[in-house]
Amino acid sequence: MKAAELFHKYPLTDNTWDEMYNEESVRLHYQNVYETLSNIPADELIKKEELAKSLFMSQGITFTVYSSGEGIEKIFPFDIIPRIITGSEWSFIEKGIKQRLLALNLFLKDVYHQQFILKDGIVPVDLIYSCPHYLREMQGVNVPHDIYIHIAGIDLIRDNDGTFYVLEDNLRTPSGVSYMIENREITKRIFPDLLPQNHVRPVTQYPNILYKNLMALSHRQVSSPNVVMLTPGIFNSAYFEHTTLARLMGIELVEGRDLVVENQKVYMKTTAGLQQVDVIYRRVDDEFLDPLVFNPDSVLGVSGVLSAYRKGNVAIVNAVGNGVADDKAIYVYVPEMIRYYLNEEPILKNVPTYQLGKADERDHVLKNISKMVVKKTNGSGGYGMLMGHAATDQEINDYKQEILKDPRQFIAQPVISLSNAPCYVNGKVQPRRIDLRPFALYGPDGIEIVPGGLTRVALKEGSLVVNSSQGGGSKDTWVLAE
Amino acid sequence: MLSRVADSLYWMSRYMERTDSILRILKINYASSQDSPDDFSWRPVLQVFGNLDDDAISNVGENSRAVLLYMVLDKDNSNSIFNMATQARENARGVQDNITVEMWKCLNGFYHVVRDDRLIYALQHGDPITVLDSLIKECMLYFGITDITMFRGEGLCFMNVGKYIERAIQSAEILDIKLNSLSYDLDKPTDTAYWKYLLMSISGYSLYLKKYQSGFEARNIIDQVLFDVNFPRSVLYSLHHLDLYFERLRDDKNAEGFSKVHFSIGKLKSKVQYSNVQSVSNVGLHDYLTEITTEIDEIGSTLNQYYFAYS
Repeated sequence: MKAAELFHKYPLTDNTWDEMYNEESVRLHYQNVYETLSNIPADELIKKEELAKSLFMSQGITFTVYSSGEGIEKIFPFDIIPRIITGSEWSFIEKGIKQRLLALNLFLKDVYHQQFILKDGIVPVDLIYSCPHYLREMQGVNVPHDIYIHIAGIDLIRDNDGTFYVLEDNLRTPSGVSYMIENREITKRIFPDLLPQNHVRPVTQYPNILYKNLMALSHRQVSSPNVVMLTPGIFNSAYFEHTTLARLMGIELVEGRDLVVENQKVYMKTTAGLQQVDVIYRRVDDEFLDPLVFNPDSVLGVSGVLSAYRKGNVAIVNAVGNGVADDKAIYVYVPEMIRYYLNEEPILKNVPTYQLGKADERDHVLKNISKMVVKKTNGSGGYGMLMGHAATDQEINDYKQEILKDPRQFIAQPVISLSNAPCYVNGKVQPRRIDLRPFALYGPDGIEIVPGGLTRVALKEGSLVVNSSQGGGSKDTWVLAE
Repeated sequence: MLSRVADSLYWMSRYMERTDSILRILKINYASSQDSPDDFSWRPVLQVFGNLDDDAISNVGENSRAVLLYMVLDKDNSNSIFNMATQARENARGVQDNITVEMWKCLNGFYHVVRDDRLIYALQHGDPITVLDSLIKECMLYFGITDITMFRGEGLCFMNVGKYIERAIQSAEILDIKLNSLSYDLDKPTDTAYWKYLLMSISGYSLYLKKYQSGFEARNIIDQVLFDVNFPRSVLYSLHHLDLYFERLRDDKNAEGFSKVHFSIGKLKSKVQYSNVQSVSNVGLHDYLTEITTEIDEIGSTLNQYYFAYS
């Protein structure tokens, strides 16, 4: 059986954008890949899938799940069929993200300084002060080059007519970029020659751009600033990503216990004594960063690092306190921010969002809850969500009780049908829901977005949740040259 | 270099050296158990490398396959190959940005090999020598890859310091295990096949034949394993190289630490350099070997105190 037959049974889903098919015909930008796959014997595809798995395993691109004292290595599931984005789609996305990021960054600077946007009544004051990620400690603190969001992973989805929507803004410590890089390496191995045939734009430059930006943040006038990456350690599920980025940038990967603060300066403990640190690219959340200021039980952080930061003796990436800008209740106001700060119309659309803190919107949502997705404003990873169309009456009632306890903590969105892309699942090509997370880098020279990103896939049939913690996987993401 | 990184590199290297050494010990002992089952006992190996009590040793001690399963795969034995390969890989995992990708892939591969069901099956039903040889090959791969790819710098120095510390200890211990079974009586007649296997397992057989041109004499074996500077597994060779690589870590910023460790290495090296089989026999072989391992352990603690302390 040739793979061509696999595609014959590909079921199109009603009222859903399919990345490969336009009605019954294959979209132009997928044709080359479609033909290549169609000419491969079906059992060869199984071999390719196995090769991909063994490559991830042998390179240690795994995360460890610890159970009963023993570590089991797991692979983040990878689908072998690439997701393809055309050059014109990409330039639209690129423009939209740059615009959005610029406004969000201005918003953070404003909120932590003069607060014009609050005084002008564009964003309600109580929404800021009730946000657990708004940090008073950052009020009035100047950060290098006024950049707060050095790395953003803004999640995009496509509605049934193919329109891109922003699902959420990840402005704290977005992860997944190592899979953008490694998935591409795997594609090179399982489909030789396919990348150059399709004129796929490369993604390898990401670490170099990030490194250049990190170097530029150093406050000291030294020829080679000491840039480090702070990881929670080898037990973290994203540890592979931390070590990959550190290696690709040639910077030291440190843990909290490697650092010490003395006289409001940060040092790392080396075999030749203490050595000053200038820039910290941290993958530790705000609340664990400094036990003296935030969670006192944190052993992942560094005591006193915030005082060194406030003093300007060390740069922290991303800035501390960014959570106030990617809070799901603030999300509603991003289009307004773009108009307010940039005097432009937003390029990328927001998903219509109801704030349950507002009485009339809450009533509307509670009445129509079966058509809604309800989320916590500070939740992530697909946890604590209610998918109205799939929940039982009991679940809905319990969730309603939760909402009424503190409505500010919830937002609701109509169920958006994510777009479908062909995936190779259980020996068959089947449609699965996907999203897209491009990684934007904001440095003193401006915003750069490497053409590509992380395409997450909901591998469970019919599922709309792409998070890796909920059975999601990923795909290599191609952006074609014009 | 970060203290934590130096610490991990040092231990990664020690674990791999120990893994290699224990695999070789298992191989000679297994071969020996097939030759002369009446004289042979696994007891010394289990006493030194296992954590079983006397009764448990008596239970498994007669059964070579049970011993091999315990020494290779048992998760409760901290010196099992399974655990040491895991430790080496976990140390490497924490310092991937300080070793080469090739080394990481090699250690990660070894980690998956010891977890493969085929290994358990082969150890239970197949030829143990084939299994041990395949594991030894993993170690050789690691040593070769390290030599060819690892950048020459502080990291490699700490790795070599760890490697030669471990090797000196292991060579002393391999010898001690055998001498123990002779009750340290060098004139006691013994099965020479064992000495042959011992030398073969540490690649010292051809050197021995060329150098001593005689049958297997306990004194000659001791001379080679302890004092031969041209034999890469001798204690003296290991101490010379320990000294050599540590010397490269000289740094004014840690002058105190350097001089302390340097002093202990130099002292121990002189002690071994200016001993011979005769003088050692006078002191008592067991005591002498114990003194060596104790002093090496002290070098390790001083290193820990001045170079690796970070938490």
